Amino acid sequence: MYLVNTETVKSFFNELGALSLFTGRFFTQCFRPRYELAEFFRQCFIIGYKSLPLVALTGFIMGLVLTLQLRPSMVDYGVESQIPVIVGIAIIREIGPVITALIFAGKIGSSIGAELGSMKVTEQIDAMEVSGTNPFKYLVVTRVLACTFMLPVLIMLSDAISLYGSYLGVNVKGVTSFSLFWTQVFDNLSFNDVLPAFTKTFFFGFAVGIIGCYKGFNSSKGTEGVGRSANSAVVMSSIMIFVIDLLAVQVTDLLGFN
Amino acid sequence: MVSKSINNTKLGVFVLFGLLFLIILLYMIGKNRNMFGSNFRLKARFENVQGLKPGNNVRFGGIEVGTVKKVIIINDTMMEVQMIVNEDMKSVIHKNAMVSIGTDGLVGNKVVNITASKEPALLVEDGDILPSKKQVDTDEMLRTLYKTNNEVALIAANLKTTTEHINSSSALWNLLNDKTLPANLHQSGNNIRMATQQANEMMTALGNIVEDVKNGKGSVGSLLADTSFAVNLNAAILKIKAVGSEADSLAQQISAVVSGLKNDIETGKGTVNALLKDSGMVNKLNRSLNNIQQGTEGFNQSMEALKHNILLRGYFRKQERKEKKQQAGDK
Repeated sequence: MYLVNTETVKSFFNELGALSLFTGRFFTQCFRPRYELAEFFRQCFIIGYKSLPLVALTGFIMGLVLTLQLRPSMVDYGVESQIPVIVGIAIIREIGPVITALIFAGKIGSSIGAELGSMKVTEQIDAMEVSGTNPFKYLVVTRVLACTFMLPVLIMLSDAISLYGSYLGVNVKGVTSFSLFWTQVFDNLSFNDVLPAFTKTFFFGFAVGIIGCYKGFNSSKGTEGVGRSANSAVVMSSIMIFVIDLLAVQVTDLLGFN
Repeated sequence: MVSKSINNTKLGVFVLFGLLFLIILLYMIGKNRNMFGSNFRLKARFENVQGLKPGNNVRFGGIEVGTVKKVIIINDTMMEVQMIVNEDMKSVIHKNAMVSIGTDGLVGNKVVNITASKEPALLVEDGDILPSKKQVDTDEMLRTLYKTNNEVALIAANLKTTTEHINSSSALWNLLNDKTLPANLHQSGNNIRMATQQANEMMTALGNIVEDVKNGKGSVGSLLADTSFAVNLNAAILKIKAVGSEADSLAQQISAVVSGLKNDIETGKGTVNALLKDSGMVNKLNRSLNNIQQGTEGFNQSMEALKHNILLRGYFRKQERKEKKQQAGDK
């Protein structure tokens, strides 16, 4: 009796190896012409711009709720005036990037997985290959790059909206001017807070894109496989976001940016 | 095609806003770290920097004017804090401004405070080392508090013992329960007040006397103020001294006479010795005195006979009348 099935372990490593090969293929194809710029911008619009309402809404609620939840404890400790400082650091360093990346993974990871999965099971990818178009370059590289570059932008906007939500949260029971709020936030931030947090968002976007594409590109077993690809893309992307976040903290600490 | 163009515009605006926030964020942080604009360096040395780190704010008169650039160890008892300060402050901060390390609020970040001195001094230049002031250390404060607490505990114990003694003292409670005490105290107060009043009056009178004496009024005043009195007194003392010396010489003469008489008596010579020791002389003197007495009685009888003599009777009567007249005139 084994607690862990050997087949499961074997399939995990198979999956990891296949994903690594898929990533390697991405980098190979990425720098080779011809570049699908039009498709890249289209994907940027779909992945980035179209995700903004969802990300903005979640970001706003996140900032507002975080402030309101933090307020009683801060009042108990007599440091109510430090709410903007604490919320600002929390949102910029950790909560903004991670929550936005998770929302992004839920929306875009599943979308890419389902889209590419359906194209795979309906043999559209094979058809593209037959027609002379490089399906990997056209479908995967553009989406992964769009995810990689759009998630940081989304996270920046999400941070700004979250901080605005926090400003409203501070003013629900207290009175803090707009300029004082922003002065307090910016005065207590440093490059060590912003730059590592901003850098890791590229990795989050890349992980969501590459996993979504991998799952969709390797979808099988008809429509059932499409659903499974979408689902596993979200789950795996979310796990990868936390793993990358953990690694980012360690690397940042090792480099002395904390 | 139009839709694609609109989408690209939307995408451009979306990306622009995202990057704009990032740029603003980085600019504000850079501005707070004095990365933009011209700056100059100032230094200060401390024994203990209390956890000060690069990036902590530098304040002058409570206004943020710079940041801490670096904290370096000079030696085992000296740390150097290097600060970057706005160029504008060159015309404000003087060389004798005092640098201290404080805390932003009770639990906030460490800050470097530059405090202006009231004494005149030259303006600072790039790389100047400003004098530093040791801040009150929390540990030291707690140690002092601990010591004070111990002393307070000791005082409280002594106070407790004293209170117990007071509570167990029946004499004190009897005194406190005595209802006549307030009246007595009131009376005593009145007496003290009266005594004070009298003392005041007495002092006033004494003051007047002293004033009179100072002004030369009265006997004592004259005594103290009259300068001729001193001269007279001096002359009197000189006379007393002269009389004393004369008395001395008289005493010496008397002593010489007495010693002469003593010598006569001891040697059996002289009149005194004869008078004191010769019994024949005494008899002769007795007889002479008897003869004188008898002679006197005879003389009295002769005089009485003369009064009755017809020749002299008129004279004696005239004398009697003259005496009587004189006595009547005296009355």
